[in-house]
Amino acid sequence: MIPSDHFVRFYNEVFKFLDEKNGLQAYYEEISRHQELHCLKEFQEKGLQGVYDYYVKIRKEENCDLDLILNGHELILKMNKCPSLSKALDNDAGACRKYCLHCPGWTCGIYRKAGLYQVYALMGLDDPQCCEWIYDDLKAAEAKYRELAAVTPPDELFASFPPPA
Amino acid sequence: MLRYQENNELHRDFHGTTNTTLDYIAEHYGEDALKTILRKTGHDVYKSIREKLEKGDASELIEHLTWFFHREGAEFNLSVRENEIRFECLECPAHKHLKKLGLKISPFSCLQTLEVNKGMCEGTPWVASVEHLGDDHCVQVFRRKAER
Repeated sequence: MIPSDHFVRFYNEVFKFLDEKNGLQAYYEEISRHQELHCLKEFQEKGLQGVYDYYVKIRKEENCDLDLILNGHELILKMNKCPSLSKALDNDAGACRKYCLHCPGWTCGIYRKAGLYQVYALMGLDDPQCCEWIYDDLKAAEAKYRELAAVTPPDELFASFPPPA
Repeated sequence: MLRYQENNELHRDFHGTTNTTLDYIAEHYGEDALKTILRKTGHDVYKSIREKLEKGDASELIEHLTWFFHREGAEFNLSVRENEIRFECLECPAHKHLKKLGLKISPFSCLQTLEVNKGMCEGTPWVASVEHLGDDHCVQVFRRKAER
């Protein structure tokens, strides 16, 4: 058994293998389908409040330094210190250079199915911080995307919907 | 002393993601690819355990097994002799959690233990094996090779 404490370091080795095979995206989609078990119903039924409640649990269980800010139709998940990337970096095997991509990779499919819209800004592999904004209104999500696109490197910005021009 | 010293909250649902990953890799890339990833995880992630085993020091391996299975709430028996370590886990905590989640246990689930342990032992005087005593009950065995 790989201890659940060390799952991240196994995950990191899986990413390295799949990256060489150009197979990361298909794997993220499989993980997204698996994760539906844990959160899709809650997201669909409770919307942003369901996402908020799910991440309250995750914040505790995964020991995240995470601010959760729910402002009406906007939920902000501000990760001040990501425990997942922190473990991948604190690792004699070294971190996969695409480690952070798994997060938007698996979550965007769930948000789409739940009728929510995600904008995700990564902050680089060496810095275990990121921020995502989730909306229940597409226009608000598109406005946030435009705002961030003006100041964020394109390879660090993701959206769960077709990015607006 | 443990290289990785987690002592805070546990997120047991990671066993579910591991289970899905084992099936996914085996189905799409084959069992040998899965073994390669698991062996590399054992070899590279647990470099500190492996380097101690190379020198004949099994202390971190023993501490690793007892600490992380204790954290997962497992019942286990440990037997340490000069040339053999036997770690019997009476009910696999990963399987227990997968059942709680209602997930089908991957046919490759026990392979993770064997291959990760083999990776830890690569290039050392130790050989890893696993004795299966039931679906969720096994003994992880580490034997020191006879000197020539």
